Amino acid sequence: MSRNLRRLAGVVRLGLARFTGRLFGGDSRQLWSSIAGVAFAVMLMTTVGGISLGLASQSAIESEDVDYWVVPDAASASAIAVSVDAPRLGGVHSVTDRLGEDDRVDYATPVLIRVLELSNPQTGHSEYVLVAGVIPDSTNRSIIGLPTAPLEPGDPHYADGNYDGRWTGQAVLSSGAATLLDAEQGTTLSPKTGSATNRSLTVSGVAESEYTTGVGEVPVALVHLSEAQTLSGATSGDQADQILVSTDDAAVAGDIEQLYPQTNVVKRTGFAQQQLSSSSLPLAIAVGAVLTAFVVGTLFVATMMGLEVLSERASLATLAAIGYSSSSRSLLLVVETLGVTLSGAVVGLGLGIGGIELTNVLTERYLGIASVARFDPLLVAAAFVVSVLIGLFASVYPVWLSHRANPVEVLQ
Amino acid sequence: MVSTESDTADPILTCDGVTRTFTRGRSGWLSSPQDAQTVVAVDDVTATINTGDVVGLAGPSGSGKSTLLHLLAALDTPTDGRVILDGTDTTTLSESQRAKLRLDEVGIVFQHFHLLPSLSARANVALPLVQRGVPTSTRRAKANDLLDAVGLADRASHKPAELSGGEQQRVAIARALVTDPSLLVADEPTGELDSETGRQILDLLTNVADDRAVIIASHDEAVLDRADSVLRLHDGRLQSESTPSMHREIPHES
Repeated sequence: MSRNLRRLAGVVRLGLARFTGRLFGGDSRQLWSSIAGVAFAVMLMTTVGGISLGLASQSAIESEDVDYWVVPDAASASAIAVSVDAPRLGGVHSVTDRLGEDDRVDYATPVLIRVLELSNPQTGHSEYVLVAGVIPDSTNRSIIGLPTAPLEPGDPHYADGNYDGRWTGQAVLSSGAATLLDAEQGTTLSPKTGSATNRSLTVSGVAESEYTTGVGEVPVALVHLSEAQTLSGATSGDQADQILVSTDDAAVAGDIEQLYPQTNVVKRTGFAQQQLSSSSLPLAIAVGAVLTAFVVGTLFVATMMGLEVLSERASLATLAAIGYSSSSRSLLLVVETLGVTLSGAVVGLGLGIGGIELTNVLTERYLGIASVARFDPLLVAAAFVVSVLIGLFASVYPVWLSHRANPVEVLQ
Repeated sequence: MVSTESDTADPILTCDGVTRTFTRGRSGWLSSPQDAQTVVAVDDVTATINTGDVVGLAGPSGSGKSTLLHLLAALDTPTDGRVILDGTDTTTLSESQRAKLRLDEVGIVFQHFHLLPSLSARANVALPLVQRGVPTSTRRAKANDLLDAVGLADRASHKPAELSGGEQQRVAIARALVTDPSLLVADEPTGELDSETGRQILDLLTNVADDRAVIIASHDEAVLDRADSVLRLHDGRLQSESTPSMHREIPHES
């Protein structure tokens, strides 16, 4: 190793030794304050960055096994023509089959939503229930807050479009619906519809549903799509209100849009919640967080390290007196400042990850939105890159201050 | 001209008509030039110091001892005149060149020790070797040797706060000697020590003078008694030079 490299390595080690020595011994308030400042900035950046990532990737929907909802464009005349009461999608079974063939799609199902009057012949209780028709697969999923596991996978009654397959009659009730109907698992329910009064449903499961409105819990039920279509008279044209597509690949959205003309592909966290963000907002938030962390962190660290230089001026003057060049003394201060900012980055990352978790807990509890913020390894890289930049920029001030001090005057 | 040794010896340090002035009273943009006051700290000092000399620098407080010491140690540059250290005119050097000259040729011992508080005694002694790019193992060995030489082998891992004043000053002397400098300057090296510890420190300083020149600034006659010769300053001017036999007879100003 050349003499210059050894000097460089020696000065770096000296800077680290001075930093750790002062951090854990003597008066180290300024160092700890600087670390706390950087930690705070990095924590904010990480938490806000996590929220931005969450918004950008809509990870909230992933947590409910739903990424995209294909819905009719309400402004489209052709979509409106499908139904007299609301725009609907047609030919949904075949479209869903095509979606299922895409390896990137984890799960896809049409969803038909209808309010049906169900009655319990044994007790005479009758109630209007929001019925959702879906095509369950072999995985237990949660749709409108109800599990799909009690439903037989597939859509047996559809039978290639003829609606003459086996009628399963399976229905998963929310606990609210079960209470209103005085029903339990195995109870037979009679739908009161104009088109298929001879059909009945059997309660195959009862579960707590998280689906609520402003007036409280809504009684809901989950049934097979073709049976919901049959009960509601939506078999003509194989109709559904929307299609749920579950995927981890954000690029799928563009392909889904090609499936249907005059439809929208939206991201939502729940059955009735609106799209969380526009495309550029998360990026703007993330950039804002990084810039804020950088500016605030740099100014804070520069100020505190300036005070540190003033309190350490005798040591720096001593180094100058015994022959340390100005570049070596500058390097020493840069290393010490980087030590401060990197320590702050480690602490801030820990706090930031905690902030992401806290954000998710609070938003889920008070807003009903799960996993708004998302942790990504990129946040670690960002925290360290920003902290290094803070260290490099902030060290300019203490270096300038140290060069202004005259060693002879300081050592007198 | 004042010479501290025979003319046949090798001069390690020569100062020729060295003057250092400072300007007081102009501290801001709103100050007028008329507010400025020039203070002459060192006035036309000429002296030659040879290898092996132990030179005392005496004078009352404010006489310019420390300023002259800083000029001789290449910490500062004169306003007028020349300081030639080991053949190099320090007045022609840049700050970085003077730092290199100090690193190679000058060891400095301060009254207040000025050890780095966060480092061990060994690390303090090895500090100049870091700037020289000396390998770690060599630094450590050399620092241990010098700590052994000053009687602190068993205190190498201690921080300055864990050492007595005398021990700290011995660490400072070891640090000053670690680069084997041709000039060792000490500014009031016993000023903060009791008389017995001060005597031990003076023993150390005078014992290392064989291969180098040692300049000790002090107003303590007990310190000056240990010098081969004494340069006396008053109001920045060199008043007299005396040999050990002579300088006790010269009436001193307090």
